[in-house]
Parts: sequence; structure tokens; C-alpha cells
Amino acid sequence: MKTAVQKTAIYQKKRPGASRWANKWIQSPQWFLGFGIAVAVCLVVFVLNVVFGRVHPGSTWGLGYGIAAAVLFVGVFFYGVKRRTMKVRALGRAWYYLQFHVYGGTLFLLLMLMHVGFQVPHGVLTWWLWALSLWVVGSGLFGIVLQKWIPTLLAGGVRTEVNYDRIPELVADLQKRGDAVAESADFAVQDFYRKQIAPALAAPQFRPIYFLGIPSGMGGKAKLFASLREMQPAEERIKLDELEELYAAKMDIDAHFTLQRALRGWLYLHVPVSVIALALLGFHIFAVLYY
Amino acid sequence: MSVDAADSSATVLQQQRLYEDRWSAYGANAGLLHLSSKPSASELKRFDLFKPYDDQLLDQLSPDISIAKWEKGAILFEEGSYLDVAFYIVEGTVSLFLDKHATSASQPIFDTKLVEAVASEPSQGDGAAQTAFVQPYQPPKEKKEAKGKKKGDGANITYLASMDFDLAHGEEHQLGRGDIFGEIGALNGWPQSVTARTATDCTLVQIRLPALQKLKLRSSDFKEWVDKLYRERTLSQQLKTTPLFRGTDDRFVEQLANRVELISCSPGDVVTEEGAAVDAFYLVRSGFLRVSQKVGDGEVAVTYLRKGMTLGEVELLIDGLDGWQTTVTSVGFTELVRIPRADFESILRDDPAVRQHLWAAAINRIKETGYTKQNPEQPDLIEFSLAKGLVQGNSILVIDLDVCTRCDDCVRGCASTHDGRPRFVREGDRYDNFLIARSCYHCEDPVCLIGCPTGAIRRTNVGEVVAVDDNICIGCGNCANKCPYDAIVMHDTEEVWPDTALPEFLRGRDRRVASKCDLCYESDAGPACVNNCPHACAFRINSIEDFQQLQAVDHAQR
Repeated sequence: MKTAVQKTAIYQKKRPGASRWANKWIQSPQWFLGFGIAVAVCLVVFVLNVVFGRVHPGSTWGLGYGIAAAVLFVGVFFYGVKRRTMKVRALGRAWYYLQFHVYGGTLFLLLMLMHVGFQVPHGVLTWWLWALSLWVVGSGLFGIVLQKWIPTLLAGGVRTEVNYDRIPELVADLQKRGDAVAESADFAVQDFYRKQIAPALAAPQFRPIYFLGIPSGMGGKAKLFASLREMQPAEERIKLDELEELYAAKMDIDAHFTLQRALRGWLYLHVPVSVIALALLGFHIFAVLYY
Repeated sequence: MSVDAADSSATVLQQQRLYEDRWSAYGANAGLLHLSSKPSASELKRFDLFKPYDDQLLDQLSPDISIAKWEKGAILFEEGSYLDVAFYIVEGTVSLFLDKHATSASQPIFDTKLVEAVASEPSQGDGAAQTAFVQPYQPPKEKKEAKGKKKGDGANITYLASMDFDLAHGEEHQLGRGDIFGEIGALNGWPQSVTARTATDCTLVQIRLPALQKLKLRSSDFKEWVDKLYRERTLSQQLKTTPLFRGTDDRFVEQLANRVELISCSPGDVVTEEGAAVDAFYLVRSGFLRVSQKVGDGEVAVTYLRKGMTLGEVELLIDGLDGWQTTVTSVGFTELVRIPRADFESILRDDPAVRQHLWAAAINRIKETGYTKQNPEQPDLIEFSLAKGLVQGNSILVIDLDVCTRCDDCVRGCASTHDGRPRFVREGDRYDNFLIARSCYHCEDPVCLIGCPTGAIRRTNVGEVVAVDDNICIGCGNCANKCPYDAIVMHDTEEVWPDTALPEFLRGRDRRVASKCDLCYESDAGPACVNNCPHACAFRINSIEDFQQLQAVDHAQR
């Protein structure tokens, strides 16, 4: 029996009034504004601190910055916790966690630099902690750039959507179909397939050129197809059309393979180092309290 | 690993006899004494219903007809269930009554509220109910039944009740030899408005939808009979409760109900042709219609009509329009009510309220056409939506590929919520920058519900949500085969049916269940896919108008 439907809202629509750039980089003006205010407050406090006192990690203000940075650094790890506790939806939407992760992580860096007075620490442990913090936030910001840039490349440049995990299976299928078409073709088409197309269909290929933009996927092959097509009878042209379609599909898959791999790969730059930095932070806090 | 015996026996004992009867979708049925399917033409001719037809037609109908003997007190179907079968009484008496929902018989089916202003620019309010084509009727809120939790807000869903019978709550209606029932729900894809129970031992001829459709197409007598029943049982009440005719004299509406024509369209049938003389006003009973206009040498889709919408208000109200302004074509099987022009004009003369309602609808239709002409991508979207079934959808999962980082957290979130088994695939049709994920649309007319042998797939009583009960599903695959959008997959549970399982053929076999999105209806947090998307690029939209909003904003950014 029909009853009222459960409302499923459209979340986070793009803002019609904002520019494409603003929509892409600032998903939530409220979060961005909050971040801006927090940064401004931190800098004003720091300037007053510099004017009226001495900035040192061990001073009251310095410790305050350090504690705030440590709290934020632990806080941004809740995004990882959220991703591993998806079943517990009472924890709220993942989007909020990511916003906090990004803005909180960046604010952490500022507070950490304020903690050390914008100077390079002398101790081995503190130097590593400082360096790893820079690395973690830097790689995180690099990841944001990738995550904003690559989806646009993919959305605008490829005709099909491909699930990364299924790429080997899809490529194998294309190869199988290509072989079947070539097998029934005449010698010229078979030879062309064997030399020009089959190697490309053999496996997913990482092509850095796709980072600059996704061409039609055909490159110079389109001309080869066109010139061979002119010399073939009608039935062979149909087979060439099929092969061209398969080749174009493979180029799309390669684009996905290349770009999605980058989207996944950057995490290796970011996550393991973050965990090491967290461990060092724990050790740093222990050392401060102990000594 | 084996299915827990208690669970499985509960499942199969409840369903044992029901499974023998693939004609009913009601899950607690008992009382089927005997069933013979595929009767021969000569067997069918024993019944008055089939006497007029030749053997060739009867042979074609035979696979979709069965003859069943039911004992007294057997529930044939419950109020709210979806059936693809009509029942013809050969012997005995069947009692029809309203069981649980008093609301069904009082909801309007032809509601001019369905047609609302086209906004030439998309709304900017988050989740607002701005729609380009229609403003659906808001149903009354009811308490969610699942686990006693509160339901989410009511959403923009068209609520159209079906009424095979106009019954007051608590009233019973008796049907006897020669009567037919269930045909309106079956032919229109509407849920049953009453519960049917055998009052005596009964012999019933059970006619499934394909046979009903063939009979309607091939036999004008049968069509007339079914239409007559619809008029008698339903139409006048439906017209009376329609806002369009609210306030109109009841006697007049009853007379009108006898004069209207009931039209059944097949896919591709042309209802009106642009430029042809306007001879009637139409109400859509069920199905979808494509509305198109000539532009240059071609033709573009302007909008679409669905259950509850009207056609002809522009042409009948505005002086100087000589013919139909649009060509209207049936997308699938469509049922229409046709009111002849003369009758309709007399209504307009006598009843200013009707005229006022219609003006609102007409203005919106004109705005729609204007909007379409100003937005060249609009016809394409309408065609896409009709072709891909988006018009059916009450909750469509859309992913903005311009933002999506392909992290698959939406799929993982879905899987973690559903015992490690995702209920959708992040694949599907693409329109512009949007991926229409292969996830259940929770259709307006869910064909997957039709013919489930155990009633495992059902409406949940939480809005339009369609869900599968794993405890009852026997893995027959009927729903997965019926779903036109590949949104249901058969999942191997890695369990084996125990030796106590019924029906017996299940014993020892691998246990499979149908797996589909249930919109996480038991959670107040909303669908896990949307909840777990870290980039907020997975949306659930309730209509193609929502999709249009997304697309319009996306285009404005380019």
C-alpha cells in the first residue's frame, strides 16, 4: 500500500550563482568561511604573541598552539575512522568528515608552525615530526588537486564510465572480441590488426599523456584505419569499423586506468606517512610530559 | 554452510502451498486445493467467459490461464499487493473488504495539482520541490512500520490510488458466479485496493496480464465488459474525488462517467496528432505518454504525461487553436479516459471551478513548451528519461562524474550496511556528466513485484520503497528477469537449502536470493550510498525534474 515516500534529498548541489571554479574548489562556502576566520584568528593571535611576548614551543602560548595542533591532527583521523565504520550511519555523512579532514588538516599545519615559531626545530624527533607534518599536509593538498582535476578530465574526455577493479576483465573481453573479428577478416585487415591493434588490446596501459588531456583516444590510428578502409570491400569495412570501435573503447579504458590509478596511488604518499606522523606525535607528547 | 533450519522452515512452510500457485503474490496464502494450468481450448470453452472466442485465440491465451479450486476462507490477495492476474468466478462466492488502509479509496487519481508551474530557471533551494513539469500530490503522512522508527519527511511523489471497488471502510462486497475482479489492478499496474477472501469453496479462472491484454486487444466484447466494470466500480468515484471535478454536481459526474470512453493504447500508438482536430479531453489512468512538437523538419519531445495528468486543456481553453498543438504517443501500455469535446465544453460552461483548474494546467503546459524550446537539451533529456525508465523512478541514484573520484565508498557503504553485499553497481547509463547508477528506481509501477511466487519482493509501506525479504525469497529470479533496468541481481548466499525445505525441489540446492537497493529504509540516516560519499557527488533524486535541476546547474557552470 502506498504511503508517504521517504525523502531523499539532493545533497550538496552545485550553486547556480557561483562560478565553475568556485563550485569545484569550494563545495561549502560555510566551511571555507569558517576556515578563513580560523586562519585569521590564529594569525592575529600569533602576531600579538610576537609583539607582546616570546614565541617558544615551551611557552604557554606555544604549548597552546601545540595542543590545538595535536587535537586537530588527531581529529582529522576521524575521517579514516568514518571510512572504516560505514555501517554506523549515526556518525553522520562522510562529506562532513572530509571537509573537517581538509580544512582541519590545513589549520593543523598553521598551528604546528606557530607552535615552533615558524622555525625549523633542532631536535631529531621534532625535526622529523615537523618534516612529516609538512609532507602529510602537502601530499594531502596535492591529493585535493588531483581529486578536483582528474574527475573533470575523465568526465569530459571519455565516453564510458569504467570501474577500476573491472579493467583487466574488460580489456580481456575487448581482446577476445578483437581476435574474433580479425579471425574472420581478410589478410590485410588481419595483418593490420596483428601489428597495430592487438598489442594495444593486450593489457591495460598506463599513459601519462592522459594527464594533459584525453584526446579522442585514437591518436594517429584514426588515419591508419581510414586509409585501410578505403582499400577494402564493404564487408571488410564493417569489420574495420568494429575493430576501430574496440580500439577506441580500449583507449577510454587506458585513460581510466591511468587517471584512476593516480587517484588511488597518491594515497600511498599520504596515508602511511600520516600514520608515522601520528605515532611520532604520540611519542613527542609522551616525551614532553615525561621530561 | 546450511541455512538455519528454523528460518528456512518458517520460510518454506509459510510458502509451501503458495508456491504451487504462481498466480498470487500474497505471502501467507493457504487454501489452494487444486490448480491446473495451461487448460486446452476445449476446457476453456466450458466457461461462459471464453465461449465467444475461437480455438486459435484460446490456445494463445492458455499459457497464462489457470483454473484453481480454493477452500473457504482463503485469502486470494491483500489490499496493497500488486498482481498481474485477474480472477473470474466459476463457482462460489468471494468477499472483498477494506482491511487496513482507509486512505486508499479516497485519494484522487486525476489531480490537476500534478501539473505545476515550470520554472524557467531551476530552483536554488536545497532539496526544494521545484519541478519543471509537475508538482506531485502530497500524500498524507503515515507512521513508518519498520522497527517502530520514524519515517523521513514526505517527498514529492505522485500518489494515485487504484480502486477496483469503491468500498467504505469495514464494508464487505460479495461477488459470485460470472464476476471478474482484480483486472483493473492488473491492467493498470495498480496495487489492489481491497483484500479478497473466498466466502465459500470457490473455483476460479485465473488470467494473467498477457492474456488479459490479448483479450482486450482482440475482443471488443471483452474490452467493453472490462470497461463497463471499471465505470461501475470505480470511474465515477474517481472523477468525483478529482480536484478538477470537485464541486461539480455528483449526478452530472455520474452521467459523465457513462459517456466517457476508456482507451487502451499499445506502445507507439498515437493518441493525438499535431494539427488534427481536437475532439476530446484526456485523463491518463496509467502508463506514460510522449508529448512532441514539430520543429523544422523534425519532431522534438516537449514533455511527457504520466498517470494522473491531463491532455487537451490548452486546446480546449484557448480560442483560436484549431488543432492539437502536440503529437502524443504512448510509450508503453497506457490506459486513458477520453471525455468527448462536447461533454467537456458543457462542463466548462457550467462549472467555473473546473475552468480555473484547467487554466492553471494550461498555463503550465505552455510554459513547459516554452522552456523546452529555450533549452535545446530538454527534448533529449525527455527522450532519455522515457527510454531509460527514469520517468518511472521515485528514487534514482545519480553520480556527478565531474566530482566523483571513483573511490567507490558509495558501494562500500552500501555493502557494509547490507552484510557485505552491495545492492547496486557503480555502472549504468550516462547522461552528460551524470551516471545513472544501476540501482533500483523504486518505480511508480514496479513490474518486479508481479508474479513473485512467495511475495518476498514487496512495497515496504515506507513510501515507494520496494524491498526483498531474504527470509522468504526462494531465489527463483522472477523479479530480476522482470526488472527492465538490471537493478536486481541474484546473489549466491553460499548456503544450501536444508532437507526440510519446501517446496521439495529446493532441498540440497544452493540458496540464492534476489538482491536490490532498499533505500536503507530502516535507517533514519538515509541511503548509505549517499551518506558515505565523501565528495557529496552521489545524489538520490525523486524525479526527472530533480535531474533537470542538476543538469541545468551543471550546464550553467560550463
